[in-house]
Amino acid sequence: MYKKKETLYGYLFILPWIIGFLGLTLGPLLFSLFGSFTNYNVTSQMDFIGLQNYKELFMYDDLFWTSLYNTMYFVIFSVPLTTIMAILISTLMNQNIRGMRVFRTIYYLPAILSGVGVYLLWMQLLDPSTGLINQFLGLFGIDGPNWLFDPEWSKPSLIIMKLWSAGGSMLLYLAAMQGVSKALYEAAIMDGASRAQMFFRITLPMVSPIIFFDIVTSTIGSFQIFQEAYVMSSNNAGAPENSLLFYNLYMWINAFNLFDMGYAMAMSWILFVIVLILTVINFKFARRWVHYEGE
Amino acid sequence: MKKYLLLIIMSVVLLSACGGFQIGGGSEDSGSTESDSASDDTADSGSESSGNGEKITLDFWTFWGSEQRRPIVDQIIEDFNNSQDEIEVQHTYVPWGDIWTKNLAAIAAGDPPDVIINDINTVKLRAQEGQMEPLTEFVDEEVQGRFYDQMAEATMVDDEMYALPFNTDTQILFYNKDLFEEAGLDPEDPPSTWAEMEEYADALDVQEGDSYETIGFYPLIGPGSDLWMLNALGENFIDEEGNVSIDTEPVHDTFNWILEQKNKYGGNTITSINSQFENAQQDPFMAGNIGMMVQNANYYVQLRDFGQDLNFGVAPMPEKEEGNGHTSWGGGFVAEVPKGAKDPEASYQFIEFLTNHDTQLYWAENNFDLVANQEAAMAAAESEEFSAAGQEVYSLMVENMDDTLLTPQPVIAPDYSSTITPTFESIVSENTSVEAGLEKAQSDLERIVENNR
Repeated sequence: MYKKKETLYGYLFILPWIIGFLGLTLGPLLFSLFGSFTNYNVTSQMDFIGLQNYKELFMYDDLFWTSLYNTMYFVIFSVPLTTIMAILISTLMNQNIRGMRVFRTIYYLPAILSGVGVYLLWMQLLDPSTGLINQFLGLFGIDGPNWLFDPEWSKPSLIIMKLWSAGGSMLLYLAAMQGVSKALYEAAIMDGASRAQMFFRITLPMVSPIIFFDIVTSTIGSFQIFQEAYVMSSNNAGAPENSLLFYNLYMWINAFNLFDMGYAMAMSWILFVIVLILTVINFKFARRWVHYEGE
Repeated sequence: MKKYLLLIIMSVVLLSACGGFQIGGGSEDSGSTESDSASDDTADSGSESSGNGEKITLDFWTFWGSEQRRPIVDQIIEDFNNSQDEIEVQHTYVPWGDIWTKNLAAIAAGDPPDVIINDINTVKLRAQEGQMEPLTEFVDEEVQGRFYDQMAEATMVDDEMYALPFNTDTQILFYNKDLFEEAGLDPEDPPSTWAEMEEYADALDVQEGDSYETIGFYPLIGPGSDLWMLNALGENFIDEEGNVSIDTEPVHDTFNWILEQKNKYGGNTITSINSQFENAQQDPFMAGNIGMMVQNANYYVQLRDFGQDLNFGVAPMPEKEEGNGHTSWGGGFVAEVPKGAKDPEASYQFIEFLTNHDTQLYWAENNFDLVANQEAAMAAAESEEFSAAGQEVYSLMVENMDDTLLTPQPVIAPDYSSTITPTFESIVSENTSVEAGLEKAQSDLERIVENNR
């Protein structure tokens, strides 16, 4: 009897969350799944059209493939680069040097700045003629690229910008590195291991759960890139030459510029499936290289 | 006892959760929540029994919230409210980025604003999708005849009028008179054909080593290639029936002409100038680095406020060859009644007021904005409120309306621009040849039209 009551109270206390989940997450989720099989346009129509949206996306819509390509490009370069960068920085930040706290703060600072302010800052930095980056390159006689105005360089520009804010995940790595038992390093030194050996044989395996976590979350995050392209492309729709037309931007254009909501819903489910598959693959491979203490 | 407690808590939670689903609930502007709920009551009773002295309250959505525009809108509303005692209009400012989406959500939820300012080029689309109340039954001949023809036309679908045009704009040529004089050109005789533009540009160019200190004229500083296509064709490259005229001689000439100018200056010069505009660091025209450029005529306001007495002149857009026409392009906004508004007739009365001569003149004089009411626009051109330069620009704007086309989004291909604009960009950046690019754009657009049929 008492047990039953306790269960009831338990449910009661999580009730606000359950209602929130059912009403605001699961409900819209199922609605969008259903909507993806309709020609829903928010106001006047919602007719069931079967797989029409999906068929059109895969068979006729070139922009769908363009946006998928752009997003893949971004993910493939941005995720490994930012991960490596974060590990490198945190290794540096893990040294015992005077004033290290100041350096840690400096490297972490970009992570607390976010959003449009940062993008506007980078648009100024990347300005082809007056931007600091090209002026700096100019000192070495390098004629810098047109960055955001050149379809070949616009995506790399965003990737470079992302590298700048690697400080956020640096903090995770740093915490993990500090948690690695000193005894391991002491034993390694006794055995005459070099610093590089210690890094690859001790540090990396010990922080591999964090690396795994970072890769999974940043892959998902990178697939969802939107704001950067929306703010930094000159027509807010992927210019130049659709080189910044990322998947979510194209989905957003369909949903909120053209109000082709059903089509956009179909796009979001395709993205969901892609990310799901990649995450499952990530987890399968994880067994080979992620090392959990105590296993 | 505890059972009851549980019930009460559950119902409270449920009720509060339900409250969250109300669309357009007071959360956006808590400041006006009280007046909103009060007004809803009066509105309901008012529309049912308008005889008993209760007022109908209308909710008017605009994106005009700036320091400069808001007082003007509020003044117009106050004038309207004082002009009669049946309708009370209240202004709701919704930011530019949100207004269309919120409007749609509100229509879907059955609680739309009573009047909204919306984009003129998409009226036909919204009408087609059933998002607006038709106004034809209220519009009399005087009202219909107020507007520039092309604007009135943009609000019509199958002989039904769905909105009243409010304001518009047009593209004209700005040129720097001081630079003209330095180059030995007559500042009172601006060029009027593409060939003359080139000639003048050569005279205005000041080259320093590899780079240019002054750029005489480059077509794509300011407008996009689509404006020049329109200028060359004398019509939009896709008409309402979905006929596409991209792979045609005038368009080929347009791109060859643009590329010729581009290669004269070099791509880097152009990119650097355009990025200066883009990043809003400085305005190269105001800085005296550009001899001539085509811009939205409203650019005058920036020159007036920040141009530091720049000695500039204005002229119609050049024409491709003599006799081809100085075709220019315009956009604009309309006042409309969203589908499901509680009292379209009352809404119409306010819309009519928004577009009448006095209101439009007031708007024109205070915003230096080209209004849709022809007579008001003509009166504004002679307004004492403007300086001599202001009058000159406004007069040109008014005259230019004869050559200004609107390009309503064709219902048959509403989303064409994201498909073909990149192709045009790629021609200009010379990643694609003119021939191949235009052939591709033509067939891409034809395919979109075909799919939508």
